[in-house]
Amino acid sequence: MKTALNFQDADGFYEQLLDAHIGLTHEQSQLLNARLILLLANQVGDAAVLARCVEAAKEVPPVQ
Amino acid sequence: MSQAYTSGYEFTKGSGYALPQYPFVPPPELQSGQTGETDIVIVGGGISGLTLACALAHQGVRAVLLDEDNTVGVKGASSRGICYTQKSLEIFERLGIYQRIATKGVQWSVGRTFAGHDEVYAFDLRQQGGFHLSSQPPFMNIQQFYIEGFLVERIMTLDSVELRWQNRVIGLTQDEQSATLQVQTPQGTYALRARHVIDATGSHTPFRNWVGASVTKKRGDDRWCIADVRFTKRPPVERHTWIEAPFNEGRAVWQHLMADEVWRIDYQMAPNADPADVSREDVVRERLTRQFGADTDVEIVWVGPYAYRSECIDRMRHGRVFFMGDSAKVMSPFGARGGNSGIADADNLAWKLAAVQRGWAPESLLDSYHEERHQAATENVLVTNRTARFLRAPEGMERVIRDAAISLARQYPFARQLVNTGRMAVANAYTRSSVCDDGSGQSVQNVCFEWAPGAAGNVNELLSWAEGHLLLLCFGPLDRRSRARVTALSSGAPLRCVQVLGAGDRPQVREHVLDAEGHLRSACRVFDHRWALVRPDAYVAATGDAFDASLVHALAKALGASLIVGEGA
Repeated sequence: MKTALNFQDADGFYEQLLDAHIGLTHEQSQLLNARLILLLANQVGDAAVLARCVEAAKEVPPVQ
Repeated sequence: MSQAYTSGYEFTKGSGYALPQYPFVPPPELQSGQTGETDIVIVGGGISGLTLACALAHQGVRAVLLDEDNTVGVKGASSRGICYTQKSLEIFERLGIYQRIATKGVQWSVGRTFAGHDEVYAFDLRQQGGFHLSSQPPFMNIQQFYIEGFLVERIMTLDSVELRWQNRVIGLTQDEQSATLQVQTPQGTYALRARHVIDATGSHTPFRNWVGASVTKKRGDDRWCIADVRFTKRPPVERHTWIEAPFNEGRAVWQHLMADEVWRIDYQMAPNADPADVSREDVVRERLTRQFGADTDVEIVWVGPYAYRSECIDRMRHGRVFFMGDSAKVMSPFGARGGNSGIADADNLAWKLAAVQRGWAPESLLDSYHEERHQAATENVLVTNRTARFLRAPEGMERVIRDAAISLARQYPFARQLVNTGRMAVANAYTRSSVCDDGSGQSVQNVCFEWAPGAAGNVNELLSWAEGHLLLLCFGPLDRRSRARVTALSSGAPLRCVQVLGAGDRPQVREHVLDAEGHLRSACRVFDHRWALVRPDAYVAATGDAFDASLVHALAKALGASLIVGEGA
C-alpha cells in the first residue's frame, strides 16, 4: 500500500469527489461512494494491497 | 413444523414419486446372538454412503452398509440434490452408472443471472476452461434419488458389499482397534464390530455426539421454499437465477430443470417467514402464477421450505469413525457443493480403505482423508457462505454495496464477477495434504488419448486398468536405466507404469499410450516434468523429473508411509 503521495492532482480529485455528491440525497451519495470504491478497487486489483487498504481505512486515529 | 428448519426437506404437497423399496433381510447376528465382525461398516444409504459402498464393491472390497430406511430419498420426500459436476459424473462413470444418469438426466451449460427484469450476465460453461476435454459434460441435473437407486442396483450386481435395509444404528463404542455398533432392526437388536466405521447418516447424525466431535456452526435467518413442478409452458433448458425477482417481492429465485421435465423453482422468503405458511398449496400456486403467468398449468410435484445453515466438523476422523457427506458438513445449496462434496468424500476414502485393507498402505494413509476433505469442506462452506451473504444483504451498507455491484455489473464486465448467485462446485485441490507433493493434489479430468492408433481411450479406462494401484505416467522417451528402475519399482510396490508418448515419440515399453495432442499431459499439469503419479481417485500425488530415489520417496508419501530420505531422522 502506498502511503506517500501518488496523486497527480490531489486537490483536483478532492474537488471532483465533493462535486459528485452535490444535489444527491443521503442514499444516492452512499450508492455513489460504494460504486466508486468498487471501481477504484478493480483498478488496484492486487488482493494484498486491497486488504491492507481496508485495514488502514478501519484504523481511524483518536481525535487529539 | 420447526423441523423444517433444516437442510433436510419435508414432503408436504403433491404426489411425489414412487420410490423403490428394498426388502429387510434378517442379519445372521440376530439368529446367532453373537457380535458380528467385519472390516468396514458404512452407516447411511444416501448419496455419499452409497458412492463409498459402490466404490469399495467396484474394487472387490468387502463392507456392510446399514440404512435405517427401506428406500432411497428421504422418507417419501422426492428430491434433494439435483446438480452433479463433471468430477462427480467422472466418478460415476468409473463406478459404471454414468450411462444411466446420462440417459435420465438433463445436460445444461448456460446460466443467466437477472436483477429485476434485466439480465445482468450469462455464461456458457462449454466455453469455459477445459470442461470440453472430459468425456463427461460440465454438469448434469437429475433428482438425487435416481443416482442413489442406480448405485444400489450396481452394488447388488457387484456382490461385495452387503446392503442391510431397516438397520438403524442406536449406539457406538470404540477402542484403539475397533468400533462396535448397536443396531436396531424390525426383528430385534444386534451388535456389529468393525475396524472402520463411516458415518454417512447426514445432517442429523447421532455420531457427532457419540464421539464428542466439535463442530464450527453458523445459523442464518434466510428462509427458502422449493417448488418442484411440471409445466404446460416450458422455460428454456438453462439455469436462471434472479437476485431481485419482481415476481418474488424483490427477493431471489432459482430455476433449474431436472429429469422427467420437472423444474425446481427455489424462492427466497422473507427472513423468519413461517415455513408452514410459505409452503401452503394456495400460496405456492399464487407465487408460481406471479412468475409464469395465469395461463400456465402447473402440476406441483413437491414443496419443501427450509433454512440455510452452515456447519463443519473440526475433525473428519475420530478414532475408528470417519465422517462424510452431510454428517461432516452442511452448507447452503449454492453451487451444488453439498452432494458433490459428499461424492468426493466417498471417492477419496474408498481407495485409501482398499489400499489399507490389502496391506498396500499403512493405516496412517487414512489420516489424509481428514486433511484433504476437511480442506475441501472448509473451502466449500466459505464459498457458499459468501453467496448466502450476497443474497441476503440486509438493509443498510450491505444492501448499498450490493446495489452498487449490481448497477456496475449492468455497465462494466469486471463487476459481473461481484454478483454472486453461487459459485459452481469444483474438484477441490489438496494443497495441504501430507500425501501430496507441493504443487500437486489436483484432480485429473477424464481426458482422451489413444491406446493404439485409432483406439480411443480415457483416464478412467487407465485407472480401471491400474486396478486400485497408483499409476505412474512417464512422459516422453525413457532411457534404459530409467526403464529398469520403473520396472523394478512396479514389481515391488502397488504401482502400474505407463509410458505416455507425445507426437513423434517411440514406444520403449509394452505398456504405452499415445497422447499426440497432449491432453493427458496437460490434464496432469505436467509441462516440464517427466512423470506424474496419479491416484485411484484421479488426483495427482506428485510429479517429478528423475527416475531415482525421489520417485521412491513420492510413492511412499502418496501411500502415507513417508520414507525419511537423507533427512537424518
